[in-house]
Formats: sequence, C-alpha cells, structure tokens
Amino acid sequence: MIDFHTHPVMIKELIDSDPDLDRNIHEKFGFYFPPQPLECFTLEMDEAGVDQAVLLPIDVTTAHGCKIVTNEQVAKLVEQEPRFIGFASVDPNLPDAPAQLKRAVQKLGLRGLKLDPSFQRFNLNDKKMAYPVYQAAAELEIPILMHTGLSWVPSGLAQLSQPINLEEAVQTFPTVNFILAHFSWPWVDEAVMLAVKYPNVFLDTAILYSGTPKNAFKKIMAEQVGVDVMERSLQNKIVFGSNYPRVDIRRSVRGIKALELSQPLTNAIFDGNARRLLKMEVNQ
Amino acid sequence: MKSIIHRIEIQTRHEIELINITEKVHQLVESSGVKSGTAFILSLHTTAAITINEGIPDLEADISNFIQKIVPDDNHYNHARYLPSDGQMAVNASSHLRQALLGFQVFFPIENGKLLTGSRQTMYFVELDGPQYRTYVVQILGE
Repeated sequence: MIDFHTHPVMIKELIDSDPDLDRNIHEKFGFYFPPQPLECFTLEMDEAGVDQAVLLPIDVTTAHGCKIVTNEQVAKLVEQEPRFIGFASVDPNLPDAPAQLKRAVQKLGLRGLKLDPSFQRFNLNDKKMAYPVYQAAAELEIPILMHTGLSWVPSGLAQLSQPINLEEAVQTFPTVNFILAHFSWPWVDEAVMLAVKYPNVFLDTAILYSGTPKNAFKKIMAEQVGVDVMERSLQNKIVFGSNYPRVDIRRSVRGIKALELSQPLTNAIFDGNARRLLKMEVNQ
Repeated sequence: MKSIIHRIEIQTRHEIELINITEKVHQLVESSGVKSGTAFILSLHTTAAITINEGIPDLEADISNFIQKIVPDDNHYNHARYLPSDGQMAVNASSHLRQALLGFQVFFPIENGKLLTGSRQTMYFVELDGPQYRTYVVQILGE
C-alpha cells in the first residue's frame, strides 16, 4: 500500500536541525502540531498498513522566501528511511526551475514533482513560467502531483488551483501524468471530468474538508462521484493520499475501506495505480 | 517537604495500547528518598490516559475492546472539522472521549519509602491515538 500524499513537516530530527524550517512550517504552511520523532511517521504507516509514502516538499521561494522542506532534505530522508519515496519541488516563478528539477531528479534521485499553485502563486496555464517546468517533467518522465482545490495554507489562493485551468497543459504535455490532489474539492466535477477524459490525469484521495475521512469519502466519492462511475471510469485513475500529518493515515485508510469498493478498485487505489505512476513493479 | 517531578517520555507504537508503567513508577519512588508522602502519576495529553487494573493480558484486551465499543469511531461528533490552531483535521473525538472515561491521573500513598498499592494493581499509560511520542509525569511529594 502506498500513500501518495504526505508532507514531512512534523519530523523532529529534521525540524531540530533547521530552525528556519520550523518557523516557516508554522508561519507559512500553517501547521502547528509539535514535531514527533521520525519513528512516529513509520509507526503511523505500520498502523495504517501503508508500506511506502511519497514525501512532498514545496518550494515557495518567490511567494514566501522559503522552502517547506528542500529537495536535499527530502533526499536525505529517503536515504535514512527507504520506505519514503521522495518528490522534488521547484518554484515555477524562477527561470532556472527546469534546471533545478533536472538536478533534483538526476542528482538527488527524486521521483516526481510537487507543485502547489495556491501556495507558490503561479497560474496553471502560464506558458512562460509553468510550461517549461511541465516540459522538464516530460523530459524526465516523472509525474506531477498538483495541489488543486481548497488550500489549508493560510495565504493559499484557491482561485489559482481550479483544475479546469490545467486542461490546456494536460493536452500540451500528453506524456506527463498529472495527479490532481484532494479530488480538487470543491471542483470535484471538473477534476473527475478531466480524469475521465484524459489518460494523463489522475486524482488523489486527500479530500478531507469537514467531518471524518469516512464522512468525507462517503459524501464525495460514493455520493457525489458515485461508486459506479469510479468502478467503470476511474478504476486506473485514483491513488490513495492521506495529506499526513494534516490528517492521520490510519483513519484515511479506514475511510476508503469503509466505502466497500470492489477488490480490484480497492487494490488499484491503495497500490496498483501509484505503482504504475512511479514505474514500480505492480503486485499481482 | 520534597517535591520531585519526573517527566517520562515514551514512544507508543499502536493506535490503542496499554503500556505497563508499574515497575518504573515503583523504582522512581524507591530511589527518591521520600519515606512518607504521595506519588501522583499524570498523563500530559488529552488523548492518552493513566489507569489502574489487574495486569493480565485478557483484561488489557477487554479494556481496549470495550473502550472502543462504548466510544465508537463513527458517531456524529462535533470535533470533526479543520482545526486552525493545529493546522490539522480534528478527527479524533473518539480518542478524547475515551481518555475522558479512563482519566488522566492516579495517585498512591508512599509508606516507609515504598508505594502503597494493592498486590494486583497495575499502572498503565494508555495510548488512545497513537502512535505518538508521549510524556507522563510522576510527582513525588513528601519527606
């Protein structure tokens, strides 16, 4: 089982070594829970039944003058804990972002790109700044996990994360797999439309905005989207993501299981689809 | 009168877990030099309890199972929303309510330098929203 959406913002060893990161996690990212030892992260994964977790940094150099975990720090965490899968982040507002991404993938071994237009303050369809980064992802053959929908970041602008604004890029870069985080809530219909139509659009399950994971998954996935639609048209398009530590992994896993989806769809969400996106061997 | 405070940190490993802390508390009291007084054992958390029971595995399992049955994960809890002060989703109302039932502290007298407990009384730190890195306090008051 793979959790495709976690943020390394509560790891004590990392935060203790970087006081600026500690402050930026509070002031910029808007996360205030006290740090916990790295072991807590992997024990949380164990308790949830998750084997591997994708770590997502966010480079907000232009918008906020900082990085919420650097690519180098992610690479170091992956080196320390092989169950982590490291993604890179670059700031599309910087001209050397494509070069930075190439370095993060080719030198640091990171395996995907995280972008957050709300927090990083860029337009999804910005051909001058964003497209060169998408082009670099195409050349590197890596997926892009794109924040879409509601942003819990205090200064995050949701208007920059409306998924329909990514459609032209989806068409322009057909070999880049875009994963729309959070089912793009509240623009779930737009996100599902894109995922149903385009082979290179995927969704992650980090939907929670009110209630428990079980409540939210039932309301959005089962009632708004429909289990029949997911079974027929999104079987290969949804990956499990918890948004840990904003939400705990255990309850997110239980929330998906409570939907009582077919076994093939359940396996695809928890494991197979993520493996295909990450070019990992798919369990039979 | 002496007041000695120990902060004991533990890494819990499961969502719900009873951790036997009896021996540790007895050792702290006996090494304190306090002959007569009281020892207070407190959890510093709102989703981790301190309780006393007979220290056998079937009762530990019964406590764990029953507390989950009487406070189910699924209910219409108000504490199920985004919590701006944490930057997290508050989705653990059941953990808080279970702690409210079990309590956060126990205390025992100290007599002749030893903790005065019943022979079957076992002290537990009870994790109710783990795994987490936790702290409990033992305060030894006396002379």
